[in-house]
Amino acid sequence: MARLRGHGLALDLGPGWEGQISRRSPGRGETTHPVLHAATFALPPTRGDFGSGAVETMQPEDILVTLLEHHPDATGTPLFSASGPPFPLRPDSFSPTSLQRMLPGQSGMQAFFTWRGRALCLYVVLGSHFLRARLVRRVNDVLSTLAVDPPPVTP
Amino acid sequence: MVKHSKGAVLRSPAMHGGALAILVTVEAVAIGLLGLLVAGLLRSHAEVLRALHDLGAGLGEAHDHGPTPAMAQPQREAATDAVDLVGTTPAEDPLAVAVTNTRHSTLLAFLSSGCLTCAGFWEAFRDPGGLGLPDGVRLVAVTRGADEESVSQLRRLAPTEVPVVLSSAAWDDYRVPGSPYFVLVDGPSGRVTGEGSAAAWPQVVSLLRNALEDATAHGQGPMKRRSLPARWSTDAEREARADGELMAAGIVPGDHRLYPSAVEEPAER
Repeated sequence: MARLRGHGLALDLGPGWEGQISRRSPGRGETTHPVLHAATFALPPTRGDFGSGAVETMQPEDILVTLLEHHPDATGTPLFSASGPPFPLRPDSFSPTSLQRMLPGQSGMQAFFTWRGRALCLYVVLGSHFLRARLVRRVNDVLSTLAVDPPPVTP
Repeated sequence: MVKHSKGAVLRSPAMHGGALAILVTVEAVAIGLLGLLVAGLLRSHAEVLRALHDLGAGLGEAHDHGPTPAMAQPQREAATDAVDLVGTTPAEDPLAVAVTNTRHSTLLAFLSSGCLTCAGFWEAFRDPGGLGLPDGVRLVAVTRGADEESVSQLRRLAPTEVPVVLSSAAWDDYRVPGSPYFVLVDGPSGRVTGEGSAAAWPQVVSLLRNALEDATAHGQGPMKRRSLPARWSTDAEREARADGELMAAGIVPGDHRLYPSAVEEPAER
């Protein structure tokens, strides 16, 4: 089992899973934050934060898990008021209308929450809405290994 | 000494011979010094080449493999288990790439930033569409870890459309003898089915195809993979036909009728 760890996030990837934790280089005056992608299919190197460029290649049994951190100022705002992670997920959390990019057959869910002082967005895409009951179990298996470090203390 | 009317001075023959001897001596010393200089430069050059070779950045020769035996038969006595890749990107972000338990096969290109032969492969990888890879084969470049590579050079070399994994552990796991080196992993079986070195990309593709055909002829893993593109093709045709019929009926992407509110769960087995 591969352990993916970096930028204060960690995730265990089971057989057939791959992933990356990236953080873009900030431009002048910008702040950037980690983005975690985990997938059961070949992730293209060039893809959007919410998986554009990758979701188009998904087969019905494929899964894409995305965890995006937002600016620390977002913690405590109404959008991120949920405390703690939203998983385990349930099949009825998913809907074809919850996709950032609606593709035939696919299904998605999105949740915003604060965990260990970090403002996070979880976005999951399933290759098939019809197969969501089975696929959600695999999503929960991998999410159960997610670890989030508290934000670094700034002087 | 004889003085001429215009004041010119003519040296005597004895004096002329002495000057010539001095000139010849100086010239001989200069030639000797130049010879020593050239010998020193040649020795220094040899030491630089030897050091580069020891660092794995020789003049592009495939280390210990003779003349470019592209995608030779596996060195291993039998196909061995493959190992998933865990490392970092050239930007030093953590990255894990699955090569086992996948539908596709993976061609691992073990390259380095310094070897001259590798430069041709880095350049070729900038245009993945022009690589002519067989269907169902994913290309992944693997270099040694950041502590053994020039990360700044890798950032310049890394193609945008081919994953690049920095992982010394992968080099050890696959017992890579030097760069460039290629390993073909059959995803469904998780086994190494071919490996070898090559001097140029067309050699890799040609022998990769041969390896896949051989595996198909022997009923090994890649046969499953090679059957996939045909199925995908059929699926694509079916999808295109369904899309056409739906659009003809006025049902376009996003139409609510495509997303019924209640869908029956598949029966649990």
